[in-house]
Amino acid sequence: MRRRSFLQAFGAATALTPLIGSGLLMPQTALATDSGRAAFEAQTALDALRQLGAGAAEQNAALTIRAPEIAENGAAVPIEGISTIPGTTSLSVLVDKNPFPLVVQFSFGPEVQPRFQTRIKMAESSRLRLVATAGGRFYTVFRDVKVTVGGCGA
Amino acid sequence: MSDPIKIRATLKGSTGEVRLLIPHPMESGLRHDPAGQTIPAHYITSLTLSLNGRPVIEAGLGTAVSANPQFAFQLQDVKTGDRIDVAWLDNRGQRGDAETTFGTT
Repeated sequence: MRRRSFLQAFGAATALTPLIGSGLLMPQTALATDSGRAAFEAQTALDALRQLGAGAAEQNAALTIRAPEIAENGAAVPIEGISTIPGTTSLSVLVDKNPFPLVVQFSFGPEVQPRFQTRIKMAESSRLRLVATAGGRFYTVFRDVKVTVGGCGA
Repeated sequence: MSDPIKIRATLKGSTGEVRLLIPHPMESGLRHDPAGQTIPAHYITSLTLSLNGRPVIEAGLGTAVSANPQFAFQLQDVKTGDRIDVAWLDNRGQRGDAETTFGTT
């Protein structure tokens, strides 16, 4: 399994860093929109967006991200992402101030509404981004969330 | 993991909702135990949800999905008896899966 060997290797040696993003280490998945693991290793939101190919994502009101304005517990912040952009095939969540900003990336087949609910960790108060892919283009929406007790070191 | 996935599939008209709770530590590898030792990363990296055997949702997960991950998804044009399978894989190569059908409670 290439993904496993990648993760073990990454943990052991940062010497692999030049390979990240080269495509050599990307796992294959059934739906084509998964961009591999490299974006999950990015340490800034902009770098993660570049890895996703979404550096030029434009804001779009047909995207919704729901999250509490103030999250008491950063270890479990409930969020919901919804896209009403026709042809949405993937939704990704980023937390700008997390050590690794890309949190989760969903790929949706046509039988599924492009929406999800989950719970995420937030290290501190931060901007939350939802990024959608539709028809090969990228769209985004932001929301700022205040965190009372951070959830990464907790 | 020994604890089973909790999975529930409910129908409202032709729209189905799937709710999941996967018992898993989702350890980020950034935390330390009381002795100052780094707690090794242990987290789910991918999750697949299939409808009647065909993958319809693939998720890639980072370390910042909360421990014991919960998800809810909405599916269109589903009916009683349609089957949902869920499978996950973590960074240690451990796997888990579960299945249910719409219309069961």
